[in-house]
Amino acid sequence: MVERIKAELGATLKETPVGEADYRERGYHLFAEVASADLLNVARFFDERGFYLAALICVDYKEYLELVYIFSNHASLCKVKITLKIDPAKPVAPTISTVFDCAYWHEREIREFFGVSFDGHPNMTYLFLHEGIDFYPLRKEKIPVSDEDKKALGAFRPGEGEDTFFVNLGPQHPSTHGVLRVVLKMDGEYIEDAQPVLGYLHRMHEKMAENRSYLQFLPNTGRMDYLGPMAFNLGYVTAVERLCGIPVPDRANYVRVILTELNRLSSHLMWLGAYLADLGALTPFLFVFDDREEINDILEPVTGSRLTYCYFRFGGLYNDVDDAFVAGTRAFIERLRSRFSLYEKLVGGNVIFTNRTRGIGVITKERARKQAVSGPVLRGAGIPMDIRKSEPCAAYGEMDFDVPVGTRGDALDMYQVRIREMENALNIIEQALARLPEGPIMTEKAPRKLKPPKGDLYHTVETPRGELGIYIVSDESDKPYRMKWRVPSFSNLMIFPELAKGNLLADAVAILGSLDLVIPEIDR
Amino acid sequence: MVCLGERGVCLEKEVFPVKFAVVEKVLDLARANSIWPMTFGLACCAIEMMSTAMSRFDLDRFGAGVFRATPRQADLMIVSGTVTKKMAPVLVTLYEQMPSPKWVLAMGNCAISGGPFVFEGQYNVIEGVDLLVPVDVYVPGCPPRPEALLEGFLKLEEKITGKRRFPGPESRW
Ligand code: SF4
Repeated sequence: MVERIKAELGATLKETPVGEADYRERGYHLFAEVASADLLNVARFFDERGFYLAALICVDYKEYLELVYIFSNHASLCKVKITLKIDPAKPVAPTISTVFDCAYWHEREIREFFGVSFDGHPNMTYLFLHEGIDFYPLRKEKIPVSDEDKKALGAFRPGEGEDTFFVNLGPQHPSTHGVLRVVLKMDGEYIEDAQPVLGYLHRMHEKMAENRSYLQFLPNTGRMDYLGPMAFNLGYVTAVERLCGIPVPDRANYVRVILTELNRLSSHLMWLGAYLADLGALTPFLFVFDDREEINDILEPVTGSRLTYCYFRFGGLYNDVDDAFVAGTRAFIERLRSRFSLYEKLVGGNVIFTNRTRGIGVITKERARKQAVSGPVLRGAGIPMDIRKSEPCAAYGEMDFDVPVGTRGDALDMYQVRIREMENALNIIEQALARLPEGPIMTEKAPRKLKPPKGDLYHTVETPRGELGIYIVSDESDKPYRMKWRVPSFSNLMIFPELAKGNLLADAVAILGSLDLVIPEIDR
Repeated sequence: MVCLGERGVCLEKEVFPVKFAVVEKVLDLARANSIWPMTFGLACCAIEMMSTAMSRFDLDRFGAGVFRATPRQADLMIVSGTVTKKMAPVLVTLYEQMPSPKWVLAMGNCAISGGPFVFEGQYNVIEGVDLLVPVDVYVPGCPPRPEALLEGFLKLEEKITGKRRFPGPESRW
């Protein structure tokens, strides 16, 4: 695959060379620098070959700004990094949102954080920020937002039409799970258009990363996705380990898998409760919290916290698990297995629930690819892609589990996929416990002060919500030069407007819930 | 004419502002034992707030489990998480929509002081919700444990009635 793409891309690009990178070190196979005239052709090239736009990143190198496009593939592992240099004095680039729909959102983000404007983009207005912020936050130098730009950015006006009106869903609304705001254009009870407005919880994680050392940034990862902090921890520590070449002992790898899966369970349980509460059934909420507390009972003595864990370290773990942990986890597996039949009776076999969710929010494979959704939403749409399988980190490579997929791609499928994933998680934990090796939990080779070699890395892991991509640029100092988080909820939210269109308002809430969004992760 | 005023009963409000101390106390007791918080989850701390309301910690024991989705029916706003500059106007609006008497509980370091998100060059976090609305009880932690939030509720009751429901833990300092 990689060979073929290299040859074909080389033929398309003609003059510009296509380089081959060390995948283990860099996280991508091929790279090429293109001119802005070629960009659209390159985008079409990848679109034709079934790639999706995994991430769109901007890096400020002072002399120039660099746009980084990461293209990836669901079917086989092949990642390509395409870069485009632009002039910081007059930052303009062509849009590729006409080819890949998800670029629409990424480009808006880059516009407000870097001031790069995209030629041909239909709506270059504020997505995360607001008028009160008068400089481009992620530029290395403080560059003020000119009045002209401010006017253009603040130009968001929901369109007008006869017989239509607007409903603000959020930012304070119980079923947006936090502070998401969606401006809905309604025609009677039907939705004509939906525009998410983000940034009500923008906590500047990416800016903070540039101000902190690698270790100091570690606690932030747990606060980005508070329902699945272990997976975010895991993604970050494995990324930095990969960048610095720090080995990890076997026992630590197994414990990482167990804890990440336990956390995945608690995240999915929380989703189940919250989703049903959105649909009007409060009882399951009480049940799932009971199970969640059991998980907390297991994790708390080991990690020291109940929610925002910060347990993994570069090169190992913070402390070792004991026999009580192993026994507790075994007992919990038994318990949760017996609870599944209860959930099945309460939820899955409930005609009100199934009739309410069947056939709404249908995602086709093609749309899923264009919008770059990931995780259970992608699998619900029928694409068997799981990063734990395709790019296993920690000890996932040694675990035996299947990847459940949906057949219809509707909200009910998302539910079933998540339930089966929970069963899978139990199996994984059981296998890891059975094979848990003895030995040290921390490597002796971990340097005290981390100074990764110069270069970049795009590292992905599977979080409870999907593909988390971390792009780190190191300049050999102890702080990252740039760190970009490609977060799953953001990508999954992008597909919401087209799912909501033409549906009833009540169904929109059901669709929004099926995407399992965590707002601080979207807003970062 | 008897009218129900902001904080008690008074006779002919404008002419004789008379307050009935005993009635006042009874009302305060009622208020303290049925605090209705608003469903206002902001960030990570909101999950711990939910845990507190669920079966294990059971906030209902204190009569405070009736989470209201609208500010118009609530008397307590639990600010559970980071307040950003974009969220600030919304928060103030919500506070103003709550009927008096009303209280605010700042849950977690973020709501108290901006917490872990205060650094040089920060541009989007309000460093403490008390810069926006008056705060009655501060519950520190990142996130605070449910027990800590319960203690926050007890403190609020103490503030309202002047008495503590349970004997408090002995102060060691
Ligand atoms: S105090 Fe900590 S747990 Fe609470 S919202 Fe802030 S970062 Fe999250």
